[in-house]
Amino acid sequence: MSFKSLTRILAIFCACTFSATLFAHGVDDSTKQFLLANQGVSIIPYMYIGAKHMVTGYDHLLFLVGVIFFLYRSKDVMVYVTLFTIGHSVTLMFGVLYDMAVNAYLIDAIIGFSIIYKGFDNLGGFKRLFGFQPNTKAAVMIFGLFHGFGLATKIQEFEIPKDGLVENLISFNVGVELGQFSALIVVLLVLSFWRRHPSFLKFSVATNALLMSAGVMLVGFQLTGYFTTI
Amino acid sequence: MTESEDIGKAQHELEHTIQPIRTLVKASGFAALFGAFVLTVVILPAEYNIDPTGVGASMGLTHLANASPASQAGPASSAEAGEYQEDHVDITVPAGKGLEYKFSALKGDDIRYSWQSFGGELFFDFHGEPKGDTTGYFQSYTVSTSDKVRGSLTAPFEGSHGWYWENKGNKPIKVSLHIEGKYKIIGIK
Repeated sequence: MSFKSLTRILAIFCACTFSATLFAHGVDDSTKQFLLANQGVSIIPYMYIGAKHMVTGYDHLLFLVGVIFFLYRSKDVMVYVTLFTIGHSVTLMFGVLYDMAVNAYLIDAIIGFSIIYKGFDNLGGFKRLFGFQPNTKAAVMIFGLFHGFGLATKIQEFEIPKDGLVENLISFNVGVELGQFSALIVVLLVLSFWRRHPSFLKFSVATNALLMSAGVMLVGFQLTGYFTTI
Repeated sequence: MTESEDIGKAQHELEHTIQPIRTLVKASGFAALFGAFVLTVVILPAEYNIDPTGVGASMGLTHLANASPASQAGPASSAEAGEYQEDHVDITVPAGKGLEYKFSALKGDDIRYSWQSFGGELFFDFHGEPKGDTTGYFQSYTVSTSDKVRGSLTAPFEGSHGWYWENKGNKPIKVSLHIEGKYKIIGIK
């Protein structure tokens, strides 16, 4: 039983990690086309792009899985997700409005690192190593800031028109939250079903180890991109 | 309500256990090894055509890197050898604007192309930029205004080559492009 479930978890994990690779991140040509062809405010399309980016953005989702993995109360989930939202909204808006040029690969590598951090944190690693628990709320907020920079670099790739920038940016941000919300519902449903089953605790170490390994892959992937394109 | 919340809290504290150092080392070691393994055997060959083990090539993954359009971020300046292929793309040039569609090719690579615009004529500049050039130099192969062009190119140097189309009208114009030969698509710039 344990081997079977473990392989199943592995398979799901691999699917999650790779299936989105083709379209997550980067800007596909049709989206680029749309953005080139459309001037001015277009609220719904930008919301859609934001939501799509979040739903297919496996790095953001893996981090969220890590964050809510051990959150059993809906109140806690709300608090942590709100902190994450505040964090990434701040840097998304400021990053684009003030045209901050951050290297997309480095930011995405940090996002990958945030997944490793959270997986290790979920295992109680920091408390074991340092003897105290680093503030989990602050960590979510700070990593949220980096995730926001990641979102900002994505929208900067679009070279969106200055005309109607703020409105489009807010639409994109709202879309990101909608995408996050819908993905969150699915993740929470799966997690809460799984929690009723004894295998949840049994495999919590394995799951967080897999989370960390996904983070390692993302960091390696992004850093390689950084060093090969310079 | 409060009772269930208390239970939830108790569970939270109870179940979010701090793992013993052995488990931590095992979990971290596994994460590092498994992550590095998948990265080198699968991801790097498929995404960047970097294949230190050779396993990626034997699984056919390196083809993915060769066929993938636009690199995912940053300037796509590296020209790489493409394989013989054929592509058909539709591009819409917005009203009153211009855009570029590029591919990379090595010196001496042959490419045959044809394109047709629907909804009006387009000003175009078919040109190439040498790899690694930072001065902004480019060589124009054909500059004209037309709605239908067919031709071929033997790349005079390694670098990115492609079309700049400009739509001087007030309606978007669709371009239907067909390319065939040895090249690698960079995409819309």
